[in-house]
Amino acid sequence: MTSDFSSPDTDSTTIPSALPENELASTNKTETSFGSRTDFNQLQTAATAIRQELGRIIVGQQELIELLLTAILANGHVLLEGVPGVAKTLTAKLLARTLDVPFSRIQFTPDLMPSDVLGTSIYRPNKAEFEFRPGPIFASVVLIDEINRAPAKTQSALFEVMEEHHVTQDGVTYTMQEPFMVLATQNPVEQEGTYRLPEAQLDRFLFKIHIGYPSTEEEVTILQGHHAGRGSAMLSAVQAVLTAEQVAQLRQQVQQQHVEPKLLEYIARIVGQTRAHKSLYLGASPRASLALLNGAKALAALRGRDFVTPEDVQYLAPAVLRHRILLTPEREMEGTTPDEVVKLILQQIEVPR
Amino acid sequence: MLYQSAIPGLTNRRSAKGLCLLCLLWLLAGGFPLASGKAPTPAPIYSLPADQSAVILRKPRAARLREFRRQRAFQYIQIKSEQNAWDRFWQRLANWLQELLRTPVGRITWKYGVYAFMVAALVFAVLKLLQVDVTKAFGRAPKRAALAYDTTTENIHALDFTALLTEAEAKGNYRLAVRLGYLFVLKQLTDRSLIQWQPDKTNHDYLTELTTTQLRAGFQELTRQFEYAWYGEQPLTAEQYALVRTARLGFLHQLTSNRAA
Repeated sequence: MTSDFSSPDTDSTTIPSALPENELASTNKTETSFGSRTDFNQLQTAATAIRQELGRIIVGQQELIELLLTAILANGHVLLEGVPGVAKTLTAKLLARTLDVPFSRIQFTPDLMPSDVLGTSIYRPNKAEFEFRPGPIFASVVLIDEINRAPAKTQSALFEVMEEHHVTQDGVTYTMQEPFMVLATQNPVEQEGTYRLPEAQLDRFLFKIHIGYPSTEEEVTILQGHHAGRGSAMLSAVQAVLTAEQVAQLRQQVQQQHVEPKLLEYIARIVGQTRAHKSLYLGASPRASLALLNGAKALAALRGRDFVTPEDVQYLAPAVLRHRILLTPEREMEGTTPDEVVKLILQQIEVPR
Repeated sequence: MLYQSAIPGLTNRRSAKGLCLLCLLWLLAGGFPLASGKAPTPAPIYSLPADQSAVILRKPRAARLREFRRQRAFQYIQIKSEQNAWDRFWQRLANWLQELLRTPVGRITWKYGVYAFMVAALVFAVLKLLQVDVTKAFGRAPKRAALAYDTTTENIHALDFTALLTEAEAKGNYRLAVRLGYLFVLKQLTDRSLIQWQPDKTNHDYLTELTTTQLRAGFQELTRQFEYAWYGEQPLTAEQYALVRTARLGFLHQLTSNRAA
């Protein structure tokens, strides 16, 4: 025994060297009545069902699926980035299918106009008046494929709808149907024919998720499925799991998650550090802090807890911050990535305990 | 007929040219005045009286001139300030270098020194671009930047757990007691080198570090209790705390037994 403490009867820091066998046995089996104060059964069941539905087609990518589920619960938009052919669009399409809500897809091209996305007013000669014809953005789950193929003019059209969930045309504001979620895919900006998204646009995405190449084992599984002709059949067999009302109910549950005040400070310090870090030219905005908080609350619920822990915050920090920060030219030339800087920042801030 | 002339009889090209020439001569000769026969009237010459008024010479005021002279903008001659000791040092150094470079050895050294500097700059640029860490070549381990930890945070190695826990338990602050107990467990694990204490690590990082299976299960349960009580702020009764305390003591006993084994 190495403890310096004495008086084992009263001192709970003393390491007991000779506890009676029966008492020791009971301590090993001791479990307190700690448990979640919120009933997450419906949420857990829905999450499991969505994972199963996606797992029919998508091989691996467990982190991607978890982050997508988190985004649904946190009422956020997701940007999926990856090289061509890593199932970005397929994943987004499948996720939309698991929700029983209106879905639309917009293929972004260099000649796309804002009115092609938002809608336009057309003249009705029989009524002698203009009538607003809603664009494809008017859906609950909107898949914007290859978002960085459109120039900044078209990107700007998404600012209002992504942040405020409504569209203003000719002085009239049209509110979106809830849930409203944008799932956008993009190729890395180094690819031919792409534009860098404006910072204001990037800030409106809750997460930016990198989709990497599958492992060899996963790729073999993909090939086996394709060879057996299961792909297209499975795609049509994907079932809707959640309705719009259920999503709203689950989001309300997530909003009521408990967050210890020190954790709020922890989030603020992480985001604040991005603004002072010498490797960063542009730090994250307060919207990033809100995103990190909302995301952490949703992730905690997915993990069956009614409170947030530092693990939740640390786990989500790269996905929340990587698209909201800009590296200095020197760091970019050295090949440093935003994820590396976020990791360094996390290492510099003490976990509240 | 090619031209239809206004004057009858002039019907060919030569006649038209002659008419044009006549018109031109008439215009050059004065045109209408000549035609009217009047000479131009000369303009009358008026003579103005000479200025007889007395000229008063105005001189600028002496005070005003002195003021101008004092102004920096009117001082066209730069007055050299006297050299101080530091300037004299640099002057002497420059003179010495000039003298040195005038010698044959100095000239050769200067010539090849410039080449050597250029080569070194080129090598440095290439190494920087390739991100090669040359410090390893000299056997020196790369320095890790010191982490900017908040100095206001608690150091688990400096806390008097006995006093703090006794106080928290006596006051019925079971939430704080759970926290202190958990920190004490972390300290014990660190002291036995079972985990590496770092302020940025989470509880689950420590759980991953624990390779001993028996300890892992117990620590997992303690972590769960701590998280629900501390992060979840779940209210604790004396009975519930007693269970947490027993679990902690059991784990510490297991830790000692494990060490002894």
